[in-house]
Amino acid sequence: MNTQLKRTFSLIEIIVGLCAMAFALYLDFTGNESSYRGILLAAGLVLIVAGLFILPTKKHRSIVNVLFLLPVLLTFFFTVLNPFILGIFYSLTDWNGIKFTKFVGIGNYITMFQSRDYVYSFLITFLYTILNMIFVNIAAFALALLCTSKVRGRNFYRASFFLPNLIGGIVLGYVWQFIFNKVFTAAIAGSQSMLTDPNLALAAILIVSTWQYAGYIMMIYVTGLQGVPKDIMEASNVDGANWWVALKRIKMPMIANTFTVCMFLTLVNSFKQFDLNLAITNGAPSRILQGKAVLSTEFMALNIYKTAIAKNEYALGQTKAVVFFIILAIVSLTQVSINKRKEVEM
Amino acid sequence: MKKRLLAVLLACMLAAVSLTGCAGNNTKNNTNGNNNTPTTDDKGSTSKGNGKAIRLVNGKIEIDNQLKSFAAAYKEKTGQEVIIESLGGGVDINGTLKGYLAAGNMPDIFVFGGEGDYQTWKSYMTDLSGESWASQTDFGFKDADGKTVGFPYAVEGYGITYNADVLKKAGVDPKSLVNYDAYKAAFEKIDSMKDELGLTAVCSVAAEAGQMYWSTGNHIFGYYLSAGLKRDDTTYIDMLKEGKVDDQRLGQFADFTKMLFSYSDPTVLISGTYDDQLALWAQGKTAFVTQGNWIDPSLPDYNVKFDCGIAPLAFLKEDTAGVLADCPSWWSVYNEGKNIDACKAFLNDLATSAEGQKALVKDCGMISPYKTCTEVPETPLAVSLKSYIDAGNTYSWQWTKMPEGIAQNATGAVFELYAKGDLGKDEFVKMLSSTIADYVKK
Repeated sequence: MNTQLKRTFSLIEIIVGLCAMAFALYLDFTGNESSYRGILLAAGLVLIVAGLFILPTKKHRSIVNVLFLLPVLLTFFFTVLNPFILGIFYSLTDWNGIKFTKFVGIGNYITMFQSRDYVYSFLITFLYTILNMIFVNIAAFALALLCTSKVRGRNFYRASFFLPNLIGGIVLGYVWQFIFNKVFTAAIAGSQSMLTDPNLALAAILIVSTWQYAGYIMMIYVTGLQGVPKDIMEASNVDGANWWVALKRIKMPMIANTFTVCMFLTLVNSFKQFDLNLAITNGAPSRILQGKAVLSTEFMALNIYKTAIAKNEYALGQTKAVVFFIILAIVSLTQVSINKRKEVEM
Repeated sequence: MKKRLLAVLLACMLAAVSLTGCAGNNTKNNTNGNNNTPTTDDKGSTSKGNGKAIRLVNGKIEIDNQLKSFAAAYKEKTGQEVIIESLGGGVDINGTLKGYLAAGNMPDIFVFGGEGDYQTWKSYMTDLSGESWASQTDFGFKDADGKTVGFPYAVEGYGITYNADVLKKAGVDPKSLVNYDAYKAAFEKIDSMKDELGLTAVCSVAAEAGQMYWSTGNHIFGYYLSAGLKRDDTTYIDMLKEGKVDDQRLGQFADFTKMLFSYSDPTVLISGTYDDQLALWAQGKTAFVTQGNWIDPSLPDYNVKFDCGIAPLAFLKEDTAGVLADCPSWWSVYNEGKNIDACKAFLNDLATSAEGQKALVKDCGMISPYKTCTEVPETPLAVSLKSYIDAGNTYSWQWTKMPEGIAQNATGAVFELYAKGDLGKDEFVKMLSSTIADYVKK
């Protein structure tokens, strides 16, 4: 009897809640602007939740679990899944940021691969990613070795190497642009700014990004190196391994999973490079390629941004973003699976 | 049992909290959409507006305060509240507006920047041809049928801005700078007297493709499109839209640009920013700078004491004595807005009333596009530009009709290569025309 009553009560609650929500949504879609819409919607949801919660079934436990996950699930759906699905949808249309008039199928994808600037920025991004991954990891690993050695003031070093990472990329970019344009040219009399030569400009971005990001990656390496068991190190010492052998044969294999993490982070981070690119060069300088002028340091993220914003071609920009996602997913998954094989199970 | 009750309460709270975002948004939309609906209607028996506040999105952040104070005075006068919302300083205005539209939060009056933006927004614009200001200006934005849809609020103009004191000392009359040969003679003369005039270079030009593309690819190139033509003559812009250029005219333009670049400070030319370019000129180290009257507000920052004016960037062998002057952007009334009549009344007041004219000219330091405006600008370049406008000696900004983003994504890079000396004159003409053709085609 009690259960029966409870069931009826909870079902009524759920139905009333559903009606309230439906009515609120109906008001919203018909353009009614009465101020109780939102309250009605919230109240309806609360009623449904409460109804579900007291509904006596065997699945009660899992219902509760889902209910408590609801805020997170909703947030994930609205902020990640929803834009992603819509993005793929828009890439198949002629969307201009407001509305679309027709479907163009894969027309955007064809246009994209035919445009020289995109193919170029594709290649230059790959080049930058590889170089940046190498430089950042070497620098970070070297710094991490320094900070875990017995050198005096290593905590101070650790903090100061990490510091550049705390400054925003746009600010850093403009500061470094000033350094390249004014300080370096003044220091080396008669020299041109690095940012006026296509190859040196790429080097300039590499310098800044290594400087900014190595400290962060260093912290991860430091953690890894500190996790190498002391007894193994002592044993190797007793066996007569010198510093280099201990590093190569013990430390590096022991922290192989740290390498995976760091490589993954730098790969994804350099591939998505945007703020430094925008602030330091914004694509310049230009170079001649097959008789055409191209912007020599326009990476993919910047290219997408400019396509959508400067050219006002939102659908094409969205298409590029979809391809960008696919490439990024493929490259990083491959890289992780390769590195995983090298890891040592403890 | 108690525990369970607590759990129910918590669950409800979670659900409620996860929805507060939406709820809050709804109410906010309401206040934005129809501000104070009941309250002002009740007490506003004397007010002429129907009480709903109108919202204006302005794209010139530098006149934000001036507009707000004008709006406050307007509210006092008419009872109509106007909310000024200024975007700018690197904000992507179009993107923001698109967001507003998607969220149902579109302002009643919004800014748009010419042909490209017009294509994006044309189905949301109200016909303003019937307004009294529309007949008092040449600068209103007209659609294909000749209907005025854009409200002009300022005129800007540019050419080669000169340091009048230097020109006087060098014995160059700025009025004579109306063709290629005059400029050649003037540049040579000033270049030979650099030391006694205290100059490091004759011109201050910046042609770096990443940040100064707008100066080269839009502004300087704008002279190719408009110089010497009547305001409604669209010969060269129409050709460009089809991906074609006039080789002979572009050749003359290339000659002039080459000369301009060769007399410019080399460091600023290929790596300078807008600030570098302006500072060089404002500190009296060059005689010319390729910017327009928008640098007026910056002059006090550099403590500029010398007299200055704007000369045409006359690249042709024939005389072209006018400068390029036009509206940088217009305001449009959102056609699905709640209160179109109040918007029209506000714009009318801004354009035609004495207070409105004073706000635009005196307070904002701009040049009024209205013939009926009696206020006179006071800043030196505005005065100089006004003399061209009053004499009817201006060309329109046809470059705003170029395909969107062409300077940033395509032609700016060609100008940079030319400035660095990687291209000769003929290569420049060839590459520029093929770049334009490619950009239009894709």
